Amino acid sequence: MNRLDATRLLVAALAGEPIIASLGHPAYDLFAAGDRPANFYTWGSMGLASSIGLGLALARPDLRVFVADGDGSLLMNLGSLATIGWTRPPNLVLVVWDNGEYGTTGGQQTATAHGADLEAGAKAMGATATATVETEAAFVAVIARARVEPGPWVIVVKVAESMPTVKPPLDCVFIKQRFMAAIGQPEAATRGGGA
Amino acid sequence: MIVEPRWASGVCAGLHAAGSRHVVYVPDNPLSHVLRILRESFPDITTTLATREEEAFGIAAGLYLGGARPTVMLQSSGLGNSLNALTSLLVPYKIPALVVISMRGDTGEWNDAQVPMGRAVRPICDAIGLPHATADTPEETAETVRLVAQTAFGTRLPGVCLLPRRLTVPSKATA
Repeated sequence: MNRLDATRLLVAALAGEPIIASLGHPAYDLFAAGDRPANFYTWGSMGLASSIGLGLALARPDLRVFVADGDGSLLMNLGSLATIGWTRPPNLVLVVWDNGEYGTTGGQQTATAHGADLEAGAKAMGATATATVETEAAFVAVIARARVEPGPWVIVVKVAESMPTVKPPLDCVFIKQRFMAAIGQPEAATRGGGA
Repeated sequence: MIVEPRWASGVCAGLHAAGSRHVVYVPDNPLSHVLRILRESFPDITTTLATREEEAFGIAAGLYLGGARPTVMLQSSGLGNSLNALTSLLVPYKIPALVVISMRGDTGEWNDAQVPMGRAVRPICDAIGLPHATADTPEETAETVRLVAQTAFGTRLPGVCLLPRRLTVPSKATA
């Protein structure tokens, strides 16, 4: 299973749930798997996809928030696992595409290729529902559970690199406003500066 | 009994008046007063401790996407840790936050390691386009915080309120 195959399975398994995608290849594959308004593509801030997902999950307990992160990206912000473990939002599902490499920057190996175990780390930091999956069937099964069973979930998915060839929209404000409207929170309706 | 300083009560009143109900922070010594007041007197405000300032800004961005008006509190030393989040997430996506920065490295500083970033805080804010203002007295702190938040959420940028050491550190001459 490569990351694009897995991303297609994720999109197919969801209805309107929001997905926060880490920059580079995870975001490119999410766009290729199915552009949808509830996709939030990051174009920078490597490492922060799980933090954005956490903030959204805390603000909107009525939503089940999915994050499509990468192993290299999560390794850049491991403290996020501790904060997720502490705040323990039941509606957060952190999916980590673990290909053991920095795919977007040329395939340099990550620490997971040398023994770092992100699921064990998540569990150690307090995530209550975790899994590591290597097959399509196992991934589909765990996503079905993560849509309804309380989290926070951290799901490490062992994938091969997929070498994406398409990219999502580049307009950051468009991405944000489309996303906020899709989750029933249109930015135009948010209060401006006046208290 | 601890008598909380007036500037700290002002920070709490200002962010509450601005409609912020979520505070994400990395603590420092002066901010401990703010956090205590929030905990004891503002039950409708949720506080979340981040392990690092960059992470705090990521959480704040997610809170905003979910309809909240986030506040991020940090020490000036942590602004350096925050720059990638600010410049590649909050600014280009026009995601606002009220940013309250407890200053080190300014007038009264004794620790040389705090001075370079302290000196750089305002130039950095200018360079990356963040509006900023300084709360100079306890009396005006609440209104400065509220106005910075009004600009931030009105213009959809992170807006910075600086709390200088002369405000937050009790004076030995008068204490």
